[in-house]
Amino acid sequence: MHDFIDNALLSRLGSLPIESRVPMMGNVAGKHRSPHRGSSVEFAEYRKYVPGDDTRRLDWKAFARSDRFYIKEFEADTNLRAYFVVDASGSMNFTGGGETKIQYARRIAAALAYLLVNQGDAAGLSVCTDKLHLEVPPSRRAAHLERFFSTLGKLEPTGETGLIAALHTIAEKIGQRAFVVILSDLFTDPAALGDALQHLRYRKHDISVFHLMDPLEIGFEFDRPHRFVDLEDGTALVAEPNLIADEYKTALRDFLTKVRAKCHDASADYQLVTTDTPLEPLLRDFLTARLPKSKH
Amino acid sequence: MLFLAPFLLWFLTAASVPVLIHLINRRRHKTIQWAAMQFLLKASRESRGKKKLRHILILTCRALAIAALAFAAARPVVSGLIGWGGGAIDTVVLLMDRSASMEIKPGDGLEPRRRIVLAKVRDAMADLGGARLVLIDSASGRAQEIPSPEILDSLASTAATDTAADLPAMLTRAAEFLTETSGRSEVWLASDLQSSNWRPEDERWAAACASLMALPQKPALRVLSITGPTAANSAVRLMGSRRAGDELLFDLEIARAGEARGTVPIQLTTQLNGGRATESLTLAGQSLRFQKRIPLPAASESGYGWFSIPADGNPRDNVAFFAYGPARSTKSLVVAPAGESADYLMLAAAPPGLAGFEAARVDPAEAATAIQNELAAIIWAAPLPAGPAADALQAFLTSGGHVLFLPPGSPSAASFNELSWADPAEAPAGKFFILADWNRTDGPMRDGIAGTPIAASRLKAIRRQIPQGDASPLARWEDGEPALIRRIFDHGTAWFFGTIPDYTWSNLGDADVLLPVVQRIITAGSDRFDASYLASVGSPAARLMPGEVRTRIDDYGTRDPANAEHEAGIHRLGERLLALNRPPYEDAPEVITRETLDAILNGTNYTLLDQAGQADDPNLSRDVWRAFLTAMLLFLFSEALLCLPKKSRQEVLPQKAAASASLPSNNI
Repeated sequence: MHDFIDNALLSRLGSLPIESRVPMMGNVAGKHRSPHRGSSVEFAEYRKYVPGDDTRRLDWKAFARSDRFYIKEFEADTNLRAYFVVDASGSMNFTGGGETKIQYARRIAAALAYLLVNQGDAAGLSVCTDKLHLEVPPSRRAAHLERFFSTLGKLEPTGETGLIAALHTIAEKIGQRAFVVILSDLFTDPAALGDALQHLRYRKHDISVFHLMDPLEIGFEFDRPHRFVDLEDGTALVAEPNLIADEYKTALRDFLTKVRAKCHDASADYQLVTTDTPLEPLLRDFLTARLPKSKH
Repeated sequence: MLFLAPFLLWFLTAASVPVLIHLINRRRHKTIQWAAMQFLLKASRESRGKKKLRHILILTCRALAIAALAFAAARPVVSGLIGWGGGAIDTVVLLMDRSASMEIKPGDGLEPRRRIVLAKVRDAMADLGGARLVLIDSASGRAQEIPSPEILDSLASTAATDTAADLPAMLTRAAEFLTETSGRSEVWLASDLQSSNWRPEDERWAAACASLMALPQKPALRVLSITGPTAANSAVRLMGSRRAGDELLFDLEIARAGEARGTVPIQLTTQLNGGRATESLTLAGQSLRFQKRIPLPAASESGYGWFSIPADGNPRDNVAFFAYGPARSTKSLVVAPAGESADYLMLAAAPPGLAGFEAARVDPAEAATAIQNELAAIIWAAPLPAGPAADALQAFLTSGGHVLFLPPGSPSAASFNELSWADPAEAPAGKFFILADWNRTDGPMRDGIAGTPIAASRLKAIRRQIPQGDASPLARWEDGEPALIRRIFDHGTAWFFGTIPDYTWSNLGDADVLLPVVQRIITAGSDRFDASYLASVGSPAARLMPGEVRTRIDDYGTRDPANAEHEAGIHRLGERLLALNRPPYEDAPEVITRETLDAILNGTNYTLLDQAGQADDPNLSRDVWRAFLTAMLLFLFSEALLCLPKKSRQEVLPQKAAASASLPSNNI
């Protein structure tokens, strides 16, 4: 059993479906909308019969009324494929005293993956650093989850971030529409991040970004000088936090504003989350917000 | 500034503690693994301006607060006297002006200036701790060590006097004293800056200042100026007194302070040999000069008395004493060859109808035997004397006689005490030598007692001889050449006038000029006989001669036996009867200016303390530890203000909860 899996939480969240905000192109029937017309219970439209159409889908009642052949079309439902992109750079190992960001990312990814597989969707994992790019292909089999969790559990954050390259790779690699969940502190160039998100969006993926931050990184509250050592490249800086707190917060605020704007431009679902946030309300709100308005 | 506990100044080194703590803290930093390094680097780059300055200011405030505390603990004493640049003072030499003018009060009901400044000096000395105080007072001129400043204002040597002050002499004495004294010293000069006492033209100033500055440890010179407004004050002054037969003639002046306005009545009381009379005078303007005649009772050989006015701002200038002796005729001698000039001179010396004046003429050759000490004056209208006549004339002058020299009328190479006559000169045809200006306040051509000038402008000369030699000119011709000069010989005076009362020379014989000049010179010469009854306090005549004992015989005011020789009054010195008054120049109100003070104390780098005479400024020195404590509090307050976080300090997230718990608000 992995320490980032909370069975009680999963059981409480089990009643909430994970909905896609864009039509999905699955390979099996599922509960998500598909861009294709097919046989389902949801009526879509009539169209004229053309040779080659399945004659079983002819609407005989319409033929009787109009003496013309019409095909009655219904929306097709399909399954969803989700890719969890987890940033495993050194900065994800930061903790201000509580949980590390990577551990928090594990918990989110594991919970959502479980829920997806549980509702018949496929979940895959992509782990990125500057040197490493692990992938667990999406699968909707329950047995697949163990591999998913095992990979998550073995993650050792190190080195600089390779998130941007990983996102571009994923955008190119995934042929069909997918639900891409990014779990990262996004300590990278916002412009490059925006490009990567646009690339994903161009491929018509549904993007969700969990921007993970430690409360100490936001509050920046220290009572004495510190020697700050970069978790990624090891550079060090001795500073009096009280003297630079304002400038630090201004820079951080500018960064967050830019990231938020880039996500907005790419129609990505953006969540800024601090690692002291309880997971259940976070996920419950996240899932609820994704429910289609018409179904409420 | 002095420190009563200077060893505590070592705590000043504690001012470096905040800096050391800061440096140690910087070295005792904690290492932390950090992720958001990009923002940290950016913040570190951008915070090098105002933030560092603010931090430096905070450190400075802390250091200064500790320094101020150390200063306060060392008990600093700052004084207008001591100044700010001082350290421990070993000796203070106080030059105390005890002249009569120092007795004036700054206002009604206040202490006289002398007592005010003494109290301030006493307090300042108490603040100085164990500094040695040496007093040189203007009356005695002696240096006297004062065992304790507390008794300063109860000493006889700081009491009121009727003397004048000789400031250059006092400073010279201070310089002499300090040459025998080691250690750091200061000279405090307490005076009302009365010009007549300071004598700005005196050559001794330069020598005294040079002596002070030549000392191994240059003393600081502080001038305690005691000037400013005063209480209403009037003064009575006896300008001259003379016995003419059975009456006494007095030239009196009543003056009041320069800023006084309007007309005021003044009661003048005359006290003569026990009799007393009071009359009311009206004083309109600044001064009133008048002549007063007092008939003497029959057979009065000698006596004394005084004129007094009511008490006012200065009690020392409300009385003028006089004394007189037996009546005597005024004899003068005209040394001139017989002729018109001699006749006019005889007439001027003993005008018909003017009782009590006698004149005799002798030829120059007989002058040596005719010159007697009982003569009031000699008029010498002949070639300057040589041989026995010159010796006799020299002795006459030295004893106090007055001699008026007139041109001999012909070229002469003779000289008398390096004074001589130039060759006779004639005015251009149709023109005259005319007097352009003359001294109207001093000398025989001065204005009358009522301010009436003599008719010197009417004098026209066609011939003249210019007096030559080292002497003070008192009148000049239009071309700037001297017409009347004066040379002082010990007690006597020689006068040289550049023309003679002869119609071939000038109209001097018309009496417009000759009569007053000759009469005034004779009167001045005869005053030395009456002057044996009249003297100024502190003058040589007022000193005791061997074997004499001083007794004050009048009953005016209160007396201080310890200061008898410095007080005005009727004194009997052995067989002599002497009326002593304050020196006439002590009544002169002129005060030297700052520029004059700069000039006479040039090179001493003196400090002028104008406030010393202000009655409402009680202290010349103060404990200033409170000021340092206040400064410390101000520094701490400033430090606290600088340490306060900015009001507008913005958080990264509006609310932390909004960032985490209310996530939908962040959803896009």
